Parts: sequence; C-alpha cells; structure tokens
Amino acid sequence: MSDVQPRIEVKDLVVRYGDAVAVDNVNFSIAPGELVTLLGPSGCGKTTTLRAIAGLENPSSGSIRLNGQTVWSGTERRNVPAEKRGVSMVFQSYAIWPHMTVFENVAYGLRVRKAPQSEIKASVARVLEMVQMQAYADRPSSNLSGGQQQRVAVARAIAFSPNVLLFDEPLSNLDAKLRAEMRVELRELQRRLDITSLYVTHDQEEALAISDRVIVMNKGKIEQIGSPEELYNRPVSLFVADFVGAANMIQGQVKGTAPDGSLLFEATGGITLEVEAPPAGGGGSVVALRSSYIHLTPMPETHNAVPGTIHRRMFHGDFIQYVVDWPAGQLIVRRPPTEYYAEGSGVTVSFLPEHCILL
Amino acid sequence: MWIAPLLLLVCGVLVLYPLVYLVTESFNIGDAQTFPPDEYGIGNYIELFEEPKVILNTLWVACLATVLAVLFGFIQAWILTRTAIPGRARLERLMQLPYYMTPLIGALSWGVLLGPKTGLLNQVWHSIGFTSDFFNIYTPWGIAWVMALFEGTVAFVMIAASMKSMDPSLEESSRVLGASKLRTALKITLPMVAPGVLSATIFVFAEMLGSFAAAFVLGIPGRFFVVTTAIWEATLSFPPDYGRAAAMGLSLSGAMVLTLGAAKFIMRKGSYATISGKAFRPRPMEVGAIRWLLMAISWGYIVVAVVLPLMALTLTSFERFATVIVSQMRFTFANYETAMAMGSLAPAFANSLLLGIVVATIGVPTIGVLAWIIYRSRMPGRGAMEFLIMIPQAVPRLVFGLGLLWAWINIPIPIYGTLWLLGIAYFTVFMPLGLRTIAGVVMQVDKSLEECARVCGAAWTYQMRTITLPLLRPGLVAAWLLIFIASVRELGVSVFLMGPNSKVVAPAIVNSWLSSSSELSAAMALMQTVMVFIAVAILFRVARRVEGDVV
Amino acid sequence: MHRFASIAAVLGALLFTTNAWAADLCANPRQMDGFKTCADIAKAEAEGRVVVYSTDPEDGSEKMLSYFSKTFPKISTSYVRLQAGALYAKILAERQAKSYLVDIVQLSDMSLVLDFNKRGGYAEYHSPEMVHFKPEWKSTPEGFFTWGSFSAAAIAYNPKLIPPEQAPKNWLDAVDPRWIDSITSKTSTSGMQHMTWYLLRQLYGDDYWQKFAALNPKAFDSYVQQYGRTVDGQEKIIHTAQYSGYLLAKAKGAPIEYVYPPDGLIAVPSSWGVIKEAVHPEAARLFLDWFLGIPGQTALGQTLMLNSLRGDVEPPPGGLRPTEMKLLFPKDWDAFIKTHGQFVKEWNKITGMR
Repeated sequence: MSDVQPRIEVKDLVVRYGDAVAVDNVNFSIAPGELVTLLGPSGCGKTTTLRAIAGLENPSSGSIRLNGQTVWSGTERRNVPAEKRGVSMVFQSYAIWPHMTVFENVAYGLRVRKAPQSEIKASVARVLEMVQMQAYADRPSSNLSGGQQQRVAVARAIAFSPNVLLFDEPLSNLDAKLRAEMRVELRELQRRLDITSLYVTHDQEEALAISDRVIVMNKGKIEQIGSPEELYNRPVSLFVADFVGAANMIQGQVKGTAPDGSLLFEATGGITLEVEAPPAGGGGSVVALRSSYIHLTPMPETHNAVPGTIHRRMFHGDFIQYVVDWPAGQLIVRRPPTEYYAEGSGVTVSFLPEHCILL
Repeated sequence: MWIAPLLLLVCGVLVLYPLVYLVTESFNIGDAQTFPPDEYGIGNYIELFEEPKVILNTLWVACLATVLAVLFGFIQAWILTRTAIPGRARLERLMQLPYYMTPLIGALSWGVLLGPKTGLLNQVWHSIGFTSDFFNIYTPWGIAWVMALFEGTVAFVMIAASMKSMDPSLEESSRVLGASKLRTALKITLPMVAPGVLSATIFVFAEMLGSFAAAFVLGIPGRFFVVTTAIWEATLSFPPDYGRAAAMGLSLSGAMVLTLGAAKFIMRKGSYATISGKAFRPRPMEVGAIRWLLMAISWGYIVVAVVLPLMALTLTSFERFATVIVSQMRFTFANYETAMAMGSLAPAFANSLLLGIVVATIGVPTIGVLAWIIYRSRMPGRGAMEFLIMIPQAVPRLVFGLGLLWAWINIPIPIYGTLWLLGIAYFTVFMPLGLRTIAGVVMQVDKSLEECARVCGAAWTYQMRTITLPLLRPGLVAAWLLIFIASVRELGVSVFLMGPNSKVVAPAIVNSWLSSSSELSAAMALMQTVMVFIAVAILFRVARRVEGDVV
Repeated sequence: MHRFASIAAVLGALLFTTNAWAADLCANPRQMDGFKTCADIAKAEAEGRVVVYSTDPEDGSEKMLSYFSKTFPKISTSYVRLQAGALYAKILAERQAKSYLVDIVQLSDMSLVLDFNKRGGYAEYHSPEMVHFKPEWKSTPEGFFTWGSFSAAAIAYNPKLIPPEQAPKNWLDAVDPRWIDSITSKTSTSGMQHMTWYLLRQLYGDDYWQKFAALNPKAFDSYVQQYGRTVDGQEKIIHTAQYSGYLLAKAKGAPIEYVYPPDGLIAVPSSWGVIKEAVHPEAARLFLDWFLGIPGQTALGQTLMLNSLRGDVEPPPGGLRPTEMKLLFPKDWDAFIKTHGQFVKEWNKITGMR
C-alpha cells in the first residue's frame, strides 16, 4: 500500500460543532480500488467524516487529500468546493430528484460536465444496465420503489466515472432481504469498476461482508482499523469486540500461566479458563468470546470444558441461538440448526483458548 | 456566489433607506409639514402614552380577533385534516377563497349584513319576532369578527400544516392503549399541535395589531379607534401630523417585532414538535354521523366568509343609492356605467394587474434565492438578514408608505410618479410575505437533494437552476399568487406613491368610499374581486399545465 | 381678503410686486367662449398637459376635467385625488425634492392653503376672471389662490323617519334631545367641522356643543357615510351635512331632505391656484382661467354638485344659488386657525375618539 499513492488521505481531521467534537483527530488512508468501511454506532462521527471528504461539511482542523491533491487543509487554508473534488456519493435518502426522469437523474453529472449528447446516452444506458434499471430510463423518478431508487442513486453516482465513490448508509432504508442482495451487487459493481470507495454503515454484518478494510469509530475517534477477519478475531478493545459480531464478555482476572504458555484466567463463578496470551502482553479483566466459537459438546483439543444447562432456545433458521446457564452466568451460543438440544438439558460448554480474547 | 451578497445588499437598502427617513420624521417635533425636520425630540412618542385609550382598544380588539381567528382556523384544520368528512379536498381548496377577498370588502359587506336596525340579517331577525338587534357589527366584537373571518384562513393554513406533519402513529398508539377518541384528542393531539397553534396565534396576533380595513370601516362609526385608524387620521386628514404617525407606526412595529420574536423563541424551544423528515400520510378519523355536522360547520365558514359578503356586495353595487331597506331599493346598472366611464379606472386596473404580474414574477425568484440563503446556506449574518427582510411586515403600511415617499422622491433617479416606483415599493413591502411562504417549502426540501447535485459536480448557480428552484416550484407558485393578490389590492403605500399617470385600483375604491358613494365603491370592489378570481383561475390552469409536463 | 400676521407673507408679497406689476400688463386678455385668458394658448397646447391635485370626488373631478379637454382637445388632463393630509404630504414632498408633477392644486382647508402660500408654493397669476370674485374670496394680495368653489354645510334628515313638520328648522333644533343616538357629524379631522364648531360657537355660545355632545353623536370621515347611514335608516339626522352630498343623494331618489337654517349655512371654500414651479405653467394658467370662468364654474356644479361663489353661474342641478342662501364665513382666518388645537381636543371628546 505504501508504494502506491493513496486515493484518500485523511490526516488529523477534527470537526467541531460549537463545543461538541464530532470527529476527533481521525487519520486513515485508502488505496486505489479499495473498499473501506467506516463502521460505528450513530453519532460516532462516521457520516461527518464522509461528508467532510465530500466537501459538504467544514472541518475545524487537519487535512484531506484526494488523489494526492489537498482538497481541504486547515493550515494551508485550502477548501476545494464539493463540485470540484471529483468524488461521487450515494446518499442515505437516495436523493433522487423527483422532478426528473430516471434518465435525467443519471445523466446529471455528465450534463454538468458538458459531455456530448451521444456520450451521455451511451454512459447512462451502460450504468442503468449495470444496475438493471434500463427499462425504467424514461419513467418519472417520483414513484420508484425503495430498491429501484437505490439502484438509480448508484447509477447516478457512477455515471460520470468518478475516481472516488462515497456511500452514506446506502442500504439502511431497504428491507432485510433486499439489503442482503444489494450488498452483493454493490460489491460486485465496485470490483468490476475497480473504484475506490468509502462506505459508511452502522451495520457490522454489512461492513464485514463487503469491505476490504473496516474502520471502527466510536465517539469521534478511531477504535481499530483492520480487515474484517482481524476485527472479528482480534478486536483490540472492548468496544470493537462488542460492536463487531456477537460476543460474550466474561469477567474475571489473570491467575498465572499454563504449562503450554497460555494464560490462566479465573472467571467469576470460580472456573478457570485457558486463554491465549495477547501479543502485547499484560492482561485485562474481561475475556471476549464469540458466540459462534462455542461448542456444546466436549472438544478434545482444549481444557476449556465447563458443564452448563440450556436455559432458552431460539430457532433463527440459519442457526439456533441458545442461552446457556454456566457457572460464570449466562452465555449466548450459536450452533448450526442441526445441533438441537431441548431446554433444560445439560451440555458441556467448550471453546479453544485462541478464541478467548483477553481485553 | 457573488449573486448572494449583491441581492442581500439590494434588499437591505430597499428596506433600510425608507426606514431612515421614517425614524427621522418620528422625532420631528417642529413643523409637522417640514421635512427634514427643524426640531428633534421624543415628544411624539411620549404623546402616545398620555392617551392610552387607542392602545388599549388596539390590544383588546387584537386579542378578541386572534382568539376567534385561531378558533376558526383550528376547527377547520382539525375537520379538514383529521376527520373523514365528505368533500374534504374541495373544502380545503375553497379555504383559500377568503384570502382572495379583501378585508375592506369584508368590512363593507358585513356593514350591510349586520348594521344596527337595518342590516339584512338584523332585518331577518326582526321579522321572526325579535325586537332587538341580532348583532351590531359596529362594535369591537364586530371588528374582531370580520378580522377573524379573513385571518382565520391564515391560522388554518399554519395549523393544518402542523396537523398534517404529525405522525398518526402517535394518536394510534393512544387509541390502542385504550384511550377514547376524545381523550386521545385532548391528551395526545392537542399537546402535539400546541407549538403549531401557538406560533399561529402569535403570528395572527401580530397581523391583527397592524390590520386596518375592518377597524376603518366598522370602528369609526362606533366611535372606536385603534392605532392603525389613528395613524390614518394623523396622516391623511387635516391637519396632517406625520411625526406622530411615524412614531405611532414605529411603536406598533416594535410591539409586533417583540411578538414575532416570542413566536420564534417558542418555535425553537418547542421543537420537540411535529415535523420530522419522514413523510406521513395522515389517516383521517372516522367520525360517524357527526360528519354531517362537521361538514356543515366547515361549509358554514366558507358561506360566512365568502358567499354572504359577496352577495351583499353584489346587491349594493346594483342599487341606485345604497340602502338595505328592501322596499326602498331601486336597481340600476348606473354604478357599473359610472365606473366604466371613469377614464382613470381602466388604466388603474391595467396598472394593478401589470404591477401584480411583474412584482410577483421578479419577486418570487429573488425571494426564493434569499430564502435559500437564509434557511439553507451557512452565510454569516443570515439571521440579521431575515430580520431585516421581515421589517416591512411589522411597520404599518401607511407609515411605511410615507417613508417610501420621502426616500424615493429624494433620489436623483426620476422614478417618482411612475409605475417603477410602485413596483419597487411593492417588492419592498411584500418581501416578508414571499419569504414566509417560500421558507416553508425550502425547509421541506431534503437537503441531500441539493448536496447530491454539488457532489455530482454542479456549481451553486447550476444547482439552484436545475435542482432547488424546480423543487421549490409548488411553493413558488403559491408565493407568486400571494404576492400577485397582495399587489392588486395594495392600499397603504399606493396612496402616497401613485401619480397622475400611475394610478392603481385600491386607493380608487377607498377614495370612492370616502367621497363618492358606497354603491359605486361596491361596484368597483366587485370588479376588483372578479379580476383577482379570473387571474387566479388562469394561473391555476397554467400551473396545472406546467406541472402536467413533468409528472 | 384679510390681514396676514406673518411677516414672511408680507415679505413674499413685496418680493412679488414687480412680478404682479408685470402680470397686470396683460391689459388685453383674449376673449374665449365664456371666459377671458392671459395665457398663451399656443404655448399651453404645446405643453399639452395639465395635472390637477384635488380632494374632490374622483368620478366628478374626472367629468369636470373632461369638459376642459373638450374645449382644448390638444391639452390632456390628469389628476390625483386624495384626502387633504395625504395630498398635502405629496405636494410638500414633491416641492422639497423639486420634482413636481402637479400644476394646479385644490385644497379645501384654509390652514393648508395659507401654509402653502406662506411657503411661497403658489405661482402669482392674475386671471382676468378673478374680477368676478370679491376680494375676501382671494389671496391678499390677489393672484395666488382663489376660492374656486365652496361646500355649504347645514342639516339633513331622512323624511321617512322624521315627518317634515317635526324636522329641525334651525341650528338650535338640531341639538334637541330627541335626536339622541341618531345624529352624525364629521370627525375632528374635517376642516368643515372645525369651521362649523367655530362659527356656531360664535352664534350660540359653548352651550350649543354641550347639548350636541349629550346626543352621543357619531363622527365620520366622509359625508358619504353620513348620508349612507341616514338614507339606510341607521341614523335619522345629519349635523354638518355637506350640501353636495345632499344633492347627489337627492338626485338618485334617496329619502333625504335638507334644512337651510335662517341663521346661515357654514360655507367652506376650496382654494385653487397654480403651482409656482409647475411643469406646464401656461396650460395651468389657461386651466385656471377656464375654471374660474363661466364654463368651468358651471361644469363644477354639474359634475361635482359643488357651488360657485359667482352669482352669474347656474347652480348645481336641484340646488340653490349662493345668492339664495345666507352663508357664514370666519371673519378672521388667523384667529380661526389658532383655535384648531382646542377644537380637535374638544371635538374628539364630543365624538368619543379619545
């Protein structure tokens, strides 16, 4: 990444509204063709960061560079207006102009750039085909369904071949099934066009599914930057562990070292667990344990095997979620729908030390 | 972006320049007929408080009228937005009609309908056996009644807007939890629309403080004076006392600014209220058999505010001499013949139409851009700008007219006595009206629609032209209509600014009422009303065709 | 007409002496059809236009001006009609800004007329027709303004409500307690009302107006409302009833009768004069000659129902000649004008305005 010039470079970005700090000293850069997601709960500053990059929000300090060009800098007193930044954006509300046809909506960016009529026609047809909306070109845009509007919004955003594409929670207004489909399509499209994208969402599942890298934000600060797998398996903070994926938090303290080098963690309820030592050393008082990594039968490769009782069973279709009573309280466990236990039956809770993240 | 500061500068000058003259004159305690004044002092202001009767009268009638108007507006808004009565859509359209009639016409016609002893309705009352009058319109209550009838439409529009934007699920959840319809209305609906009602109340109150026509026609016979009619007396009659008029006018505007400021404060505080970004489709309540009663109430308002006055006016305009004693009536076309024969009336109608069209056509895009700057941009000093533009609304029209006269006659451009000056003056005094109307629409348009254009690469002017203005079109059409109607019936500034070759309609009607005859005035007023109705009908047809192109 | 107290006026008069002398040089005025003129008609027609500001009713004024246009088709006429105060504000503003639109002005309030003359607002022009007007009907010195018309004020009543035998015969009958709650007058802003108050107080003493106040009179801006309400039956009797209003209502067949008090009718003069910096000075002079002559004064009666002071002019249709009425004028205008403040205060109290 270091030898290629990043498409987006955000340095020491601070955005204040009066006394409130919405974005607090944020740094990251995005390589060409990469899809990076800003993930966090609402009010964490992710949308503000995105809008600052688009030029719709005025930062207080720091700098933003696009394609090596400084578009905003507090020290250089530079502020390139939104329309000159060459980025494109898909809005949460889609922002489909109701007074125009689908074609005119999509053609807008090209018309602004005074593209010849023939090129406009060709480009619009091409991108509408990409989003499978070619049949709707001459429809008025005011009575499209949510999903159709979303497709038009995407088509409009890519029609004028921007070099950076910004997504502001583009799928949050769609229903679950459509959302899952669009997710796949968006990723496909992004790969096909090889377009650098910054994507904002509060849906961790979505973030993990489509991103090359994910930036987790909380209270205006970056908590962790990493690949989806890194975030899932190696969260660096309680916040990330809790926000990304479903995790159980087990309270307790480190009580020494096991013969194989793993740490011994004494959890509440008097049970001792083997946990993997964190690379940085030291130790906290919480162990994070992903629900999907817990087995309800003994595993030969670990000493972490504790008896428990099924308290509640919830059938989700793709998996079954169990609430299991065990000495340290209750555990949320996800098993494939084939692993069926009746409520009240006894089980053995077991998990590998490397899945126990000491925080 | 150079357009914005330029516009602000022009509009600022338009408002402030006449105001300077006005303030100067209000401190004139020397020869009232000399300008600029020889002597300065605050005597004109002190005098106001030495005779508080006029001020107390003003407050009393404004309070009465406000309560009535808000009541009318609230009931109509509730019936038309929250209940399922037959013919709702049509009624809602008809609710605009009272606005197209002028309060002057309303006052004249209600004088015919409810004058003591011989008013038409009082005669009906007597004929069914009562000895005393049903109602005497020449009382503070009568003035309040007429003012409330016409201002009720404004209250309706404002309250209906807040009722429409209320999430119906809030009411539904109350019903689901077991509350009765009445309890829901009292405990949920009322508090939810309270901020809307409150701001409508305060706005209407400020309008009432400055209203003139009803108090003019109905107050003077009942020996009842309010500030605006006192200003009329001080300015237009003998001997003119412009300093006192200016002081009274500016004090009144002080009171109005305070009231409107309070409204704004409450609006801001009460923003828990009803407007959210989502669009709701209000679900009207099924009201059973009572719907016929509600429908009758709703139609009753239209009849009382529009149909009855127009009938009374028509009757008067065909009389040889105005009388409401049926046995004495002699009918004739003479009044229309006289009006048609007046060589100056046709040009006056033409001038008014022309001014209405031009002022509305130039004003709407200009004010549209201003509204956008004030409510959308982040330009510094937006708040001050809004305040500045709203000033003409707060200064009584007659007094502002004097300021405009002094201001524009003293610049070296020879526009005094031409339609240009009237055009500039109308634009100045109708900026607040336009801004208020367009602001509502500006705030309804989702911000991201504009941001998206910017991100797509459109510069500000291109975005305004292709996205913002087209999206604002329904609001702009409404604003055009309002400014057009207001221009056609403008009286206060026209009185001072019209010249021998630039006459307009409204002063001619008042002149005729004051110096010719009621029946001739009725004929002229009816002609004016018909002109407004025709213009509105044409505009609607055109607007529908334009809309039709798009959808 | 009477003595001006103001030094300014005297100075003004002295300054204009030369001019006045020059104007007298018009020894051989041109005889027109019914009037004489010193104006250069060719020049006036070249100016092509005359603008009149007046307080007279719009429909009547327009008809009257059309009579002038018929005689001089090359000179178009236009006018502005406003309430006295607004009209004066307009004239003074035009004067102050030196952008006059007006050529001829009619004002019915002597204090405004005298004020304007004191400011030197009127041009000096000695119309040959002025010889038909008595000295007290003109400015002193003459040539600045002339009483081109007058409105008489007395009493009117609705004969359907008051049988003629019960109707008032003189001013004193008008303040009889019988008329309580059914009598109207004009407001304190009316010059006619001021004059009526002033002259009747001289005749009958303060007592007269105390009796009037006891009747709960309603005051109106305009005679139109006074007549309208009386014809309607909402009121029975009009105090300070303008004669032209009676003639207009009578002509339409409305139930209304007029009382000519033997003690005299209040006569409110309207003064006409040419503006000093008039844009169409020659046309203005020609118009003044026409207006003060027989054709203009006759047109006045026929279109506006107003009376001429000239005895040799036909009265308005249905009306009497000034010679058939006893007319009351203030003897000393300055003394009259000085009472204005007192009048406004008392009248507002009498009519309940404050």
